[in-house]
Amino acid sequence: MMNVDVLQDERHHRFVLNMGPQHPSTHGVLRVLLEMEGEYALELQPVLGYGHRCHEKIAEYKPAKNFMPNTARMDYLGALIYNHGYAMLLERACGIEVPRRAEYIRVIVDELNRIQSHLLWLGAYLLDLGAFTPIMYSFDDREEILDILEDITGSRLTYCYMRVGGVCKDIDDKFVSRTRAFIDRLRSRYSIYEELVNGNVILQKRLIDVGDYTPEICARYGVTGPLLRGTGVEYDLRKAESYSVYSEFDFEIPTEQRGDSWASYNVRYREIEQSLRIIEQALDKLPEGDFIAPKVPKKLKIPAGDYNSSVEAPRGELSYYLVSDGSDMPYRLKIRTPSYCNLSVLPEMCKGMMIADVVACMGALDLVIPEIDR
Amino acid sequence: MNVKQIEKKWQGLGAKVEAVAYAQTGYDYDVTLTPESLHGFAEVMLAEGFYLVDLMAVHVKPAIEVVYQFAHFGGQRCRVMGRTFVDAQGALPTISDVFQGANWHEREARDFHGVVFAGHPNLQPLILAEEDVDLKPLLKDEKVLKDVAAIRRQVPEAEAPAAEKAAKPEAAN
Repeated sequence: MMNVDVLQDERHHRFVLNMGPQHPSTHGVLRVLLEMEGEYALELQPVLGYGHRCHEKIAEYKPAKNFMPNTARMDYLGALIYNHGYAMLLERACGIEVPRRAEYIRVIVDELNRIQSHLLWLGAYLLDLGAFTPIMYSFDDREEILDILEDITGSRLTYCYMRVGGVCKDIDDKFVSRTRAFIDRLRSRYSIYEELVNGNVILQKRLIDVGDYTPEICARYGVTGPLLRGTGVEYDLRKAESYSVYSEFDFEIPTEQRGDSWASYNVRYREIEQSLRIIEQALDKLPEGDFIAPKVPKKLKIPAGDYNSSVEAPRGELSYYLVSDGSDMPYRLKIRTPSYCNLSVLPEMCKGMMIADVVACMGALDLVIPEIDR
Repeated sequence: MNVKQIEKKWQGLGAKVEAVAYAQTGYDYDVTLTPESLHGFAEVMLAEGFYLVDLMAVHVKPAIEVVYQFAHFGGQRCRVMGRTFVDAQGALPTISDVFQGANWHEREARDFHGVVFAGHPNLQPLILAEEDVDLKPLLKDEKVLKDVAAIRRQVPEAEAPAAEKAAKPEAAN
């Protein structure tokens, strides 16, 4: 017989739920401790560090140039952008001029990488929410990008394509024509995504007004990227600090006003089109010339001092901070990864939320755990 | 955003403010603080609409230096590095009550460098395992530990004598 006293006693409704580290909706080895009352999460506590690989320590033990492959292993979805930020850091520190063609190639592959990341997020996020089909479509498109990038970089996920002073291999006509074909293909797919997903009432009900946050919360926690732009703040480092050759392209920064999961969903979705626009213009304007600076010293001595480089990764602001003592090895390298700060807002964002909404919220953060743990 | 006014506010806290070349370093202002002025500095930054980008500790002689990086959401680029040395006890006041994002950054600095942040609500290991609380893996060995002067930007030859005088009070901190 059921014990009615137990059900009525408030203490028995409270329990601690352990989500992860192998939970599929945490997309990696993230663990979240949830203090629950019934179906409501009262307190959340992310537990990090399951995938800590000491990248910052490794950086202090090898020549600065040799750290490039490690950058790709932090955010496996934005590897080329991580490459770019690190190359930019060393170029800035050593005063190396990058040929214009190299900058254009960098921008093109960066944006392809960004679209690829957003497509994976789109599919995986909807899968978290219980929609199985969209991932089939988004992976189909993503596969095209991986094939294009594999052709020039030699790898499909953890790229090490950029070098100090440029990129390691020039792009060819085949790359240009395949990329152009891909732009047309993805644009023709918008109607599928919009009909299948964006207009879906169930999806909207799951996301609208779930996980409210404001620009003020973003400033206090250091939240950047599509999440921040979901609150109406037009802040994108590609424009705000205009690194590389981004100032030469005409593109918009998509923003939404609501500041919830639905807003950041739409920002990311709309960013795909803006990335395509950048690629299109870059292919049109692609200059001739070297793809790597001709005189980069083999042993790269970094003048003493501290240097910073910030780029817009798919998830927000990525900053490298380098302290050098004048040798070719960094004295200290600190990497600020966007997901780390974006995740830290979760306890405040999800307080008192139903557990199914916590999953929707976490998906909207677009977490990549290896970049949090580093 | 009026940078001149903000600069005055920093100086009002007793901070030494230096504008640096963005093209060369990747940031705009270098603000040298003391542990006492740190909390006030954070409050000014929040009021002026800055966000905390990052917090990093660097192990040098004579003490660990902690660098706070801020940037601004507004249209104008303004990237600020606030730096301070830890006090004699290896501690600094927390700014996690102003910038909640600093909570995790400070726990990370405690993990890797052993910097204690006084007043922090929960200074437990974050990235490292709980049993590694005293590992402090990013502290340098005595052999490779550099003096703070060795990691400062070298001033071009012509300006060197004047800069040397200016650098002295900073080294005494």
